Amino acid sequence: MPVSLPLSSAERLFAVGSGAGDRADFHAAARQFAQQLPATGPIVNLCAARRSFALTLVAGAICGRPSLLPWSPSANVVRDVAAAHVAAVVVADETLPDLGALQCCRAPDPGAITDNTGSAAPVTLDPAQVAVVAFTSGSTGAPQAHAKTWGTLAASSQRLAQRVLDGLVAAQLVATVPPQHVFGLETTILLPLFSDCACLDARPLFPADVRAALESVAAPRVLVTTPVHLRALLAADVQLPPLARIVSATAPLAPPLAAAAEARFAAPVLEIYGSTESGAIASRRTAEDTAWTPLPDVRFASVEDGAEVSAPYLPQPIRLSDRIECMADGRIRLLGRSADLIKVAGRRISAADLTQRLLAVPGVEDAIVIVPEPDQIDGRPAALVVAPDMDEAAILAALATQVDAVFLPRPLRKVAALPRNAVGKLPRSALLELLRG
Amino acid sequence: MAGQTDAERELAVLLVQALNLEDRAPESIDPEAPLFGDHAAGWGLDSIDALEIALAVQQKYGVELKADSEDTKRAFASLRTLSAYVDAQRSSAVH
Repeated sequence: MPVSLPLSSAERLFAVGSGAGDRADFHAAARQFAQQLPATGPIVNLCAARRSFALTLVAGAICGRPSLLPWSPSANVVRDVAAAHVAAVVVADETLPDLGALQCCRAPDPGAITDNTGSAAPVTLDPAQVAVVAFTSGSTGAPQAHAKTWGTLAASSQRLAQRVLDGLVAAQLVATVPPQHVFGLETTILLPLFSDCACLDARPLFPADVRAALESVAAPRVLVTTPVHLRALLAADVQLPPLARIVSATAPLAPPLAAAAEARFAAPVLEIYGSTESGAIASRRTAEDTAWTPLPDVRFASVEDGAEVSAPYLPQPIRLSDRIECMADGRIRLLGRSADLIKVAGRRISAADLTQRLLAVPGVEDAIVIVPEPDQIDGRPAALVVAPDMDEAAILAALATQVDAVFLPRPLRKVAALPRNAVGKLPRSALLELLRG
Repeated sequence: MAGQTDAERELAVLLVQALNLEDRAPESIDPEAPLFGDHAAGWGLDSIDALEIALAVQQKYGVELKADSEDTKRAFASLRTLSAYVDAQRSSAVH
């Protein structure tokens, strides 16, 4: 059955307060942009503003072309993603990085949509059509693509809405997360498209921006954010307008931080658990519960050395990088992440992969990447390197051409030799001692 | 490399501490190098770093940064522009 984007009671989708962008206009604008898109392959959707992103996504759907979602807007990553897809065209709403020979096109400015004569009937989507392709960095270094159909996204979004928007009428979302990250896509693009809410077009970063953004929208207000932004909001001691709910994901939220945020902003903090592959799959109120409640119809199973999640709308069961415990009441506990995973700013890479890339730098003889404080939010990797003829800056500069800047080790320390034991392994305690210098 | 002023040196020390860039010597930082993006020539910082910088600057100098103003975008170009911005904001707050 085709999926229809509903016209619901929330008047404005993304351009909250600007006067442009009610749902009827949105559908007409998407049809208009679909006709203007260069007639080639998939779309690398770099749009930063929610409305431009969503217009590009839906315009692509109208002409059967998915949005590719690079995990970083840096030129290297965009080129890698585009190179893996024949005839991809880049669509952006801000100044583009230098992308060489790639075909680029600007998303339409909301004010430039003039054709109100076109059909404003809801766009109809094919549930079997691929809507987006998200990427994770694979253990071999090549990014792994995860395609999601409109059917999966719509079904998943309706279940997420039951948690995030529960009891709220015409909620107004303000989000610090980008739409290219799966959590950002689900909350700031798909919830407004499929449910009764709107999301502010802009993406505030600093605490003062978050306050101004929240002040610009009407109640009930929902702040969609991450532990890092939440910590910054508390540290900056800002006064926010009344919030109905705070939603956090992308990194584990410490219960004391959740409790402090609830006390300061007088709103429940809902934490979402999910992955790039599965999307959102469970939630909890972190200040009160250690256990997670699966989203409706989501099933978890503990398997050897990990866990699997399944749902009627997912094409197949998905392997998770966390170990879990299934409780008798249907809820789950997370027992810890496989130790190798490094996650910063919602992006991830394995320590083994990062070590391999470091070893591939000419002049590096031996190297190891570890995360000194794996339990800390966005714990950055650190590295010990044996490279007699290079300085730290040159090693980092070489590595920077290979990986996203968030993964560059801090610190990267040169040593004469790594403390390998009799079987060639590197005891963590010895590494930490060397790192401390 | 252009020389650092005293204010730039003080800000460089703050940034190196706040961002855990302990392999950088504050006094060796080019005040005109770009803070974001280009790692080879500049600091190679990202948006989480920007958040940390905003917090550190607010706590030390009492200056609130907003990403959506053009002034802040210009201020985040380099150590020199950030130092000048913080200085200007502090004077306007005092007078």
